[in-house]
Amino acid sequence: MTGPVASTAATPDAVRSRYDELAELVAWVEGRPAADPALAAAVAPHLVREARLLDSGRFEEWLEGWTDDAVVWAPLSVPAHPGRDQALFLDDRRRLAERVSWRRDPAAWGQQPPSLTVRAVTGVEAWADAGRVVARSSLVVHEQRHGLGRQLAGYQIHELAGGWGPARGRDASGEGPAGEPVGDPPRFRTKIIVMPALSLGVRNPSFLM
Amino acid sequence: MPDPRTAEERPDSANPVRTDPHPDFGHPVQADPPPPDFKHLVQTDRVHRRIYTDPGIFELEMTRVFGASWCYLGHESEVPNPGDYRTVTIGRRPVLMTRAADGEVHALLNRCAHRGTVIATEERGCAKRLTCPYHGWTYTLDGRLAAIPFPAGHPMTDREALSLGRMEVARYRGFVFATLNPSPEPLEEWLGPARTALDVIIDRHPGGELAVAPSPQKLEFAGNWKLSWDNASDGLHATFAHHSYNTLGQSAAVETVLARDPGATPMVSLAVGNGHMVVDQRPGIPQGPWATMRNVPFREPLESALVSSGAGDQLDLATGSMLNLSLFPNLIFVGNQLLVIEPLATDRTRLWLWLTSAPGAPAEIDLLRLRVDEDFVNFGTPDDLDMFERVQRGLSIPEMEWIDVSRGLPDEPGDDGVVTGAITSEAPQRGYLAHYAKLMSAPEATRAR
Repeated sequence: MTGPVASTAATPDAVRSRYDELAELVAWVEGRPAADPALAAAVAPHLVREARLLDSGRFEEWLEGWTDDAVVWAPLSVPAHPGRDQALFLDDRRRLAERVSWRRDPAAWGQQPPSLTVRAVTGVEAWADAGRVVARSSLVVHEQRHGLGRQLAGYQIHELAGGWGPARGRDASGEGPAGEPVGDPPRFRTKIIVMPALSLGVRNPSFLM
Repeated sequence: MPDPRTAEERPDSANPVRTDPHPDFGHPVQADPPPPDFKHLVQTDRVHRRIYTDPGIFELEMTRVFGASWCYLGHESEVPNPGDYRTVTIGRRPVLMTRAADGEVHALLNRCAHRGTVIATEERGCAKRLTCPYHGWTYTLDGRLAAIPFPAGHPMTDREALSLGRMEVARYRGFVFATLNPSPEPLEEWLGPARTALDVIIDRHPGGELAVAPSPQKLEFAGNWKLSWDNASDGLHATFAHHSYNTLGQSAAVETVLARDPGATPMVSLAVGNGHMVVDQRPGIPQGPWATMRNVPFREPLESALVSSGAGDQLDLATGSMLNLSLFPNLIFVGNQLLVIEPLATDRTRLWLWLTSAPGAPAEIDLLRLRVDEDFVNFGTPDDLDMFERVQRGLSIPEMEWIDVSRGLPDEPGDDGVVTGAITSEAPQRGYLAHYAKLMSAPEATRAR
């Protein structure tokens, strides 16, 4: 397992600016025109694979897909600002690693027995912007635990780390512009999970990550 | 013919749902449990499962506890300006906390005097008048009827009787409490010795300034509301239920305060009267609360900025006071959050977790508080929620009637009536249960003003 990585933000201003960036990303996505279908189609398998890793409990592999400055943020409602509003959680890279170890802890009663989940990722949209790719998708999580089933529905925003793009996959030489092999999976830098039910009240949501 | 008696007046009110035998089948009616005798159900060393599982008792609690007691309504900082209001639920009643034109805070029953429509449904708002969406009746923010459309058709013999129902309101240093008891105990007497702990929590904020931030986390569990109350002063469970939190993020086993034998520490738990409870962990943490803090996201840059600006001594403010105070029946101070209990049904409860801020402290403190208080909610609270649901399931077994609450007996109250025990003592639970039994067996009237 990857060791803990402390936050990459070095100053309070860097923290504030990362928080601003998260709040603005939600608004930015809302203002986008309809997505380029080719880009959306190229991104979709990676979102689906992320969901598959989570549903299969392959948390360590899932963790490898995140950059050192990654943030996963679950606001209670949107619009929200991570520097002003409580969230369900806001995980940096170190906290993501802790979350994975928590999911493995047999005494973490909130996930013992673990939730069985099926994530349905649909309606994928994606846009290229300033060297990065941003995707929005609908997310329905079916969860079963303690013999009870329920669904949580919402959407998620993924920011793929800079440098990845579908053009690379189409390169006839078999290599991308930077020399990486074709199909090298992107790394995620940001994920925002928006679940309207969080603003009403939900039973133990600790399967969300 | 509907029964004209109120639920309180009916002799079988603890069991309002009964099924008569179908004439074609003639099953015998299942014997109703006897009317609740709270002296039997709540004893010094044990409590009957029924107070957690009986829907009839739950109904009685909504008036005898949540109606007749002072309940936490909200904080003044949530309605800073005239016209501001927030919707609240007190014992399942829709209530409005408003700031009226005169600057006073009011607790209004959120129910139009005309046909009973709930007037405001959004979580918060600001308005000159409250207007019922059904027939357009309007009210001032102190609950008086302002106008009705087409008034010519209405006899309007008693305009005051067409006000919104009002609850009695009292405030203590920004905290607003409300009750439907027409002759309640003065708030400061009701607080009693708990007031000292409340002062400590408020006074640790620079200038005594504490504000409540607008976005609460809301978590539900399939269990009775008293399970969360029991847990609030349970100094023993953390060692076991929160084992995973105590070791999270540590590569080697490190002794934390919670992981030690908690009974062997100088930490104490107290029953402070009127059902209020205190757990004081401070004596067990001489190095201060911040020393116990985990590496929450974005901790280091904020922490080092405070230290290098000479404000490192304020870091304790970023975490809780380590003085957990519970004001019966619905407000728990834990970490820097106000945990407010909303009973939904016998076996369903919603918890509201409001983050408090320290407006007089350096900005980094509030930035840290966000991530600090989310930390336990993510890696500690799920344990508690799971235990509450497990207990509720276990209590469904009719043949196993009793819950043991004898740990730490005998209770020896001091001159002020306060019982102080080791942190593992169940004295605070016994204290609130005795108060609960008193409220339930000698009910006080409830009435809207």
